[in-house]
Amino acid sequence: MIRRAPPAVSAAATCVAGAALVAALAVAPARAADPEKVLHLEFEAAETGFDPCKVQDYYSFVVNEGIFDSLLTYDYLARPAKLVPRAAEALPTVRDQARTYVFKIKKGIYFAADPAFKGRKRELTAEDFVYSIKRFKDPANRSPYESFIEGIAGLEELKKEAEKTGKFDYDRKVDGLQALDRYTLQVKLKDTDYTFAYVMALANFGAVAREVIEAYAEDTNAHPVGTGPYQLKEWVRSSKIILEANPGFRGFVWKFEPGTDPRDKEIVAAMKGKNMPQIGRVEISVIEEQQAAWLAFQNGELDVLHLREQFAPIAIPGNKVNAELAAAGARLDRITDPDLDYTYFNMADPDFGGFAKEKIALRRAIFMSFDNAEYLRVIRKGQAMEAQYPIPPGVVGHDAGYRTSIPYNPELANKLLDYFGYKRGGDGYRSWPDDRPLVWRYSSTPTSRDREFDELWQKSVERIGIRLQVDKNKFPEELKRERACQLLSRSAAWFADYPDGDDFMQLLYGPNTHQNNSACFQLPEWDRIYERTRALPPESPERNQLYRQLWRMAEVNGVWKLHDSRYRNMLVQPQVIGYKKHPILLAEYMYYDLDNTRRRR
Amino acid sequence: MSAYIIRRIWQMIPTMLGVIVLVFILFNAVGGDPAYVLAGKISSAEQIANIRRQLGVDQPYYVQLWIFIKQVLTADFGASWSTNEPVSHILATRLGPSLTLLVPWLILSTLISIGLALAVAYVRASLTDRMVMIACTVGLSISILVYIIVFQYVFAYKLGWFPVQGWGDSFWQNLVIYASLPIIILLVVSIAPDLRLYRTFVLDEVNQDYVRTARAKGVSENRIMWVHVLRNASIPIITQVMATVPGLLIGAFLLERFFSIPGIGREVILAVERSDFPVIKAITVYVAAATMIFNLLADLMYKAVDPRVQLK
Repeated sequence: MIRRAPPAVSAAATCVAGAALVAALAVAPARAADPEKVLHLEFEAAETGFDPCKVQDYYSFVVNEGIFDSLLTYDYLARPAKLVPRAAEALPTVRDQARTYVFKIKKGIYFAADPAFKGRKRELTAEDFVYSIKRFKDPANRSPYESFIEGIAGLEELKKEAEKTGKFDYDRKVDGLQALDRYTLQVKLKDTDYTFAYVMALANFGAVAREVIEAYAEDTNAHPVGTGPYQLKEWVRSSKIILEANPGFRGFVWKFEPGTDPRDKEIVAAMKGKNMPQIGRVEISVIEEQQAAWLAFQNGELDVLHLREQFAPIAIPGNKVNAELAAAGARLDRITDPDLDYTYFNMADPDFGGFAKEKIALRRAIFMSFDNAEYLRVIRKGQAMEAQYPIPPGVVGHDAGYRTSIPYNPELANKLLDYFGYKRGGDGYRSWPDDRPLVWRYSSTPTSRDREFDELWQKSVERIGIRLQVDKNKFPEELKRERACQLLSRSAAWFADYPDGDDFMQLLYGPNTHQNNSACFQLPEWDRIYERTRALPPESPERNQLYRQLWRMAEVNGVWKLHDSRYRNMLVQPQVIGYKKHPILLAEYMYYDLDNTRRRR
Repeated sequence: MSAYIIRRIWQMIPTMLGVIVLVFILFNAVGGDPAYVLAGKISSAEQIANIRRQLGVDQPYYVQLWIFIKQVLTADFGASWSTNEPVSHILATRLGPSLTLLVPWLILSTLISIGLALAVAYVRASLTDRMVMIACTVGLSISILVYIIVFQYVFAYKLGWFPVQGWGDSFWQNLVIYASLPIIILLVVSIAPDLRLYRTFVLDEVNQDYVRTARAKGVSENRIMWVHVLRNASIPIITQVMATVPGLLIGAFLLERFFSIPGIGREVILAVERSDFPVIKAITVYVAAATMIFNLLADLMYKAVDPRVQLK
């Protein structure tokens, strides 16, 4: 399976781009964190655990990113998101047409103290990254992120052997993953892959110590020990997570450069030169109900709140904080999430799928009956932007000028259906050209949000005389049927793993059918062009041109109907200094500060 | 008595087997295959097969059923499929917060409902009785969700009498500070139906001959109500209370969610959302066992309060 595309990280670019950030993350005196600075955050769903290779939920990532050092990370202020070194000294050296990546690891990074180290100070080395990455392929770990490293040469063979023997041999040398010396990690990929650097910035790919994993083998989720700025102090599962600044953390000086956002200068003025992290303790409460979180924020019990859609009309009328919040000094930080919501047709379906003109017309007519504007107003409460292009804003490859060729136009949709022989009966509903009753089967889960979506689709297809049959399934069952190309249609979502267009375009790549190509879309011409994009650097105009061509082909064939990318509204109390929501980074708390004197009494 | 108890315990075995089979069929029919979620956003058929193998869901159904039965016999349900937390640890840590909320509620609710039922039954057909019954009907008609939203907004946020949400480290802190408002909400919700029900039980008794006889003998009204009437009305009340007790083990899902109480109710919902069968199995089996045990206890209590009851 191929699922990634390229961020151009040439050797030269590496040096230039890396230099500034090496300075930004330069070693600074440790213990800057003030224990009196206690940050209160909320999670809207329970975390699952803190073993980087075993978890896949957003909330566990938020914690893991604070505890574990990945090789790379993102510049806090740069938009679109820009890779910078974290545990690495600089961005990797990339050779052999993005088949070989070499990372130099900073010296003098130490794991947080733990009994597993038997009192010794334990330095982070390249071998720790070799071990940590290998863990994703160990079948016993059943890692949900295994596919992200499938391109590394030799790991698949190691996994196959483990499946035979029942034991994963961590000591076996692998061609594609080697510690060249104590501080140099070399990764060799089977194929060109410019996006591999992004993978090394994912929260999951932070380094763990083998001694710790083996000491707590029974429940590695409960014993995260990393080299990052925070360590887990207390964990009441599904309820409360307390992080404290890691006293052994090397620290860094806040030295990010302002971007084009006018607020950046204010942030830089407040933060520049500070030793980080400043916040001594982070207390995270799992608050599933938005009313409770919203009231807790207003009560001053939370410092930062992710405002969900249903409270947006109250809290941010006209997309500005309401008078009460403004008077209390609270402010809104708003970004467009790098995500995409869309509805697809199963192209392998014997009735609705395929490339015959009348089938294409039917799918396009159904898509044209859906009014995204109404959807944004009714379901999203205005807290999303209509998507015209499958690569969302802020993601490399986004085309802000692209306009969809399947706009809301029920009149045209009706004409299209009439033209291709989908006749209306006496009851107003259409039949297939061969007179069979025409019923569109659409699947969704039994949630309130999906019920609203069902009703909108119902209303939409009524406009063009098509009967809708909604099949309700639990999410795992939907996935199972989808992977088997047995699900006709559903509305799906994709959140960027990293800010590159390939993360979205690969969703339509033919060989990814039965994996994450939900539409089971297989068009040889499309696949050939897509494969060409993978050999091109991400920022290249040629790749962008090919993406436009690819998307137009998919759109013409009526594979997906794009809906929206959501806004993420973060409400921030006045005592939070230097906060800026990042589209990809999750543990921003290591980059901002608290001023307790500004807290409401 | 002991022969009766042994017989009843013996009868629990086929009932439990029925529960096991029913849960097993239900989960396999509508539970969904957890491997597809656990495998992550991008997963191959081999990865899914590996997960199914590790979870044991690739085994023939009869093997899976036998494993379930062994788990019940050994009281070891393994670990959660989604978090790898031992199921025994989940139950041990989540039950405490739920019981901190629900045990005081059950005791208070029962005492208050019985007291009020005796009082309104005593003034039956009066304006007070009618007003209380109307209030109960209105109270019954309002969803618990409305009570939660309004009470949390008014008493916790606006008046600041209680915390909006949260849970602490000590039992007393939790009981007095964090559980107070949820308990009050539960009382408001539960007293109305209980009061109506218990009033009916009491009214059935106050018209009996023995009450008239007691009055004729000059026994005080207090003694008549609290001793004679209550004792005779207590069998259906015991039935009602004992039927409620096993429900305590599955917590109060809505309250736990709105007040961020780390109880078993939230865990049940999480387990269902995640198709986490080991957790679902364990909780279902424990609730079934508790139901049977409390039914037996209810029967024994009938005998204790009314010697005429024969245990056969």
